[in-house]
Amino acid sequence: MLELTNLHARVVPEDGPAREIIKGLSLAVPAGEVHAVMGPNGAGKSTLSYVLTGKNGYEVTSGAATLDGENLLAMAPEARAAKGLFLSFQYPTEIAGVPVMTFVRAAMNAQRKTRGEPEVSAPEFLKLSKVAAAKLRIDPDMLKRPLNVGFSGGEKKRLEIYQMLMLEPRFMILDETDSGLDIDALKVVAEGVNALRGPGRGMLVITHYQRLLDYIKPDRVHILSAGRIVKSGGPELALALEKSGYDQFMKAS
Amino acid sequence: MQLADLPSRRTEAWKWSDLRAAMASQEATLIGTGPIGGDGPIAAFAELMGDAYAPATRVIAAPGETYETRMTEGDTGQYGSVVVKAGATAVLIERIAVSGSALRPILPSFSRIDVEPGATLHRVVVQQNDVADGLADAAIVLNEAVVKLGAGATFRQFVLGEGARLARIEVTVEAGEGAVVDLDGVYLASARRHVDLTSRVAHQAAGIHTQQLVRGVARKGGRGVFQGKFFVARAGQKADASMRHNALLLEEGAEIFAKPELEIYADDVACAHGNTAGQIDEDAIFYLRQRGIPDVDARAMITRAFLIEAVPEWMGDKLRGEIEARIDLWLGTGP
Repeated sequence: MLELTNLHARVVPEDGPAREIIKGLSLAVPAGEVHAVMGPNGAGKSTLSYVLTGKNGYEVTSGAATLDGENLLAMAPEARAAKGLFLSFQYPTEIAGVPVMTFVRAAMNAQRKTRGEPEVSAPEFLKLSKVAAAKLRIDPDMLKRPLNVGFSGGEKKRLEIYQMLMLEPRFMILDETDSGLDIDALKVVAEGVNALRGPGRGMLVITHYQRLLDYIKPDRVHILSAGRIVKSGGPELALALEKSGYDQFMKAS
Repeated sequence: MQLADLPSRRTEAWKWSDLRAAMASQEATLIGTGPIGGDGPIAAFAELMGDAYAPATRVIAAPGETYETRMTEGDTGQYGSVVVKAGATAVLIERIAVSGSALRPILPSFSRIDVEPGATLHRVVVQQNDVADGLADAAIVLNEAVVKLGAGATFRQFVLGEGARLARIEVTVEAGEGAVVDLDGVYLASARRHVDLTSRVAHQAAGIHTQQLVRGVARKGGRGVFQGKFFVARAGQKADASMRHNALLLEEGAEIFAKPELEIYADDVACAHGNTAGQIDEDAIFYLRQRGIPDVDARAMITRAFLIEAVPEWMGDKLRGEIEARIDLWLGTGP
C-alpha cells in the first residue's frame, strides 16, 4: 500500500541552509497493517510525515514514495489527501474564524469533488458528525467553535481523530498523537483509531513512547535513527525499546 | 479652490493618499474661489460639487428609522447633515458605487452628524468598486463624516472600502460623557486600487467607551491605508478605548500603510492599540490542504475568516450578508 524506497529528503528553511534529515529510508506498509515508527528526538519522525504529505520546505532529493503504486511525490498536498492520505498533526494549527463543522464539511466535499463523487448532504453530514463526536466523547458545542482556537492539547488531538473518522482516509499517519493526552483521553482516541482499522486501510503510527502502542497494537515496529530505519521487528521490539532505550540501536546505525 | 490648495504627500494627514497628485490627472475642472474651509478638503469638494440633502438637514426623531443615500458615477456629490434626536435610534446607510461607467469621476460626500444625548446611530458606509479587471480605474471617492455625540449617545459604524484610483473614507468623532463608540471596517485593495480608512475619536468627557477593529487585505499593486487616532483630553477620565488594525499582504508587491496613534492627557484611562501587517500563516494553509482543500480555496477561506471578524453583529443578518457577499466576490469565491 505505502511504499518508500531509499528516500532522501531535506528541510529547506526560508532563512538558512538546507539540512538533509531523511537519509535513505525504505519502508513498506501493506494494506490492512499498522506499522509503528519509533525513534529518538531528531531522528526525522516529523520530517517523514511532512515529506509524505507534501509540506512546503520539505524537499525530496531522491528515492520514491508511492501509495497503491501511485507516485505521491508528484501530487499537491490536496491531491494526496483526496487519494486518502491523512496526517494527524503533532501540533494541529489554530484556524481562526472557521468553525470545525464548516471546515470538515468543506474538506469532505473538496475531496469528493476531486474524486468525482457527489457532495455530502447536510443531513447526512450531521448524522456522520454526531456518530463520530459521540465515539470520541466530544461536546457537540465544540464543533461550532473555530477550529482548534483555544482548545487544550487533548481536545486538539481528539479533533484530529474526529476529522479522521469523518474523512475516512485509506492511509493514516499519526504523528505523536499520544502527546498531550492523559490516559483516559488516550484510550478514547485509540478506540477511535482502532475503529478505522480494516483490510483496505493502512496506518503509520509515529511515536516516541511505547505507551500508545498498548492501545493501538502495531503489526510491525520500525526504529528510525538519523534518517534511516535501523531495525524492524514485531510488537516486541517496542517493548525492548521501552526497557533499554534507543542507544543500543543508535550505536548500530 | 485650486490644485495647489489640495493636500499632497507633504501634508501629514494625507501623506499616503496624495489627493493633489490624483486630482492632477483628472480632467475635471476645479471651480470656485477661496481657500479650503476649516472642515478640510472633502467638505470643500462636497459643498462645491454636491447637492445638499433634501431637506438639507435630516432630522430623525422616530425610533428605528433607516435613512439611505446612494451615489454613483454621474452624481456630483452630497453635502448635508443628520440630527438624531434624543432617545431616537436610527440607521444611516451610505452607498458609493463605482463601476467604470464614467471617465474620471469624483465622488465627494460630507455629512455633519449630531447624535443627541441618549440617542443611537448605526452608520454603514459601503464603498464598492465593480470596475472590471484590467479597465482603468479612475474614480476618486471622498467620504467624510464629522460626528458629535451627546452624553450617553451610541455611535456604531462599519465601513467597507473597496478602493478606487483613490478612495478616502474618513470619520471624526467628538464624544460626550459616557458615550459608546464602535468603529469597525474592512478594506480590500486589489491591483491599482487605493483605499484609505482614516478616523479620529476625541474623548472630551469622562467615561467614554471606544472600540475599533479594522481588517484589510491587499493584493499586488493595491494599497491600503489605515490611520486611526484616539485623542483623550484631560477631561476624558475613565476612557476605555481599544484600537486594532490587522492587515494581510496577500501577494508580493502589495502595500499597507498604517498609523495608529494615541494622544492621552488624562491619567486614569485604559487605552490600547494593536497593529499588525503580515502574510497568511502558511502552516494554516498546509493544514487545510492536507485535509483536501485546494490551495486557492484554502487561502480564500482563511482570508475570509480573517476579514469577517471585523463585520459586527449589530449590522443584522441582511447587511452582514451583503458585506460577506462583497468579500466573497472579491476573493473570487462568490457567485
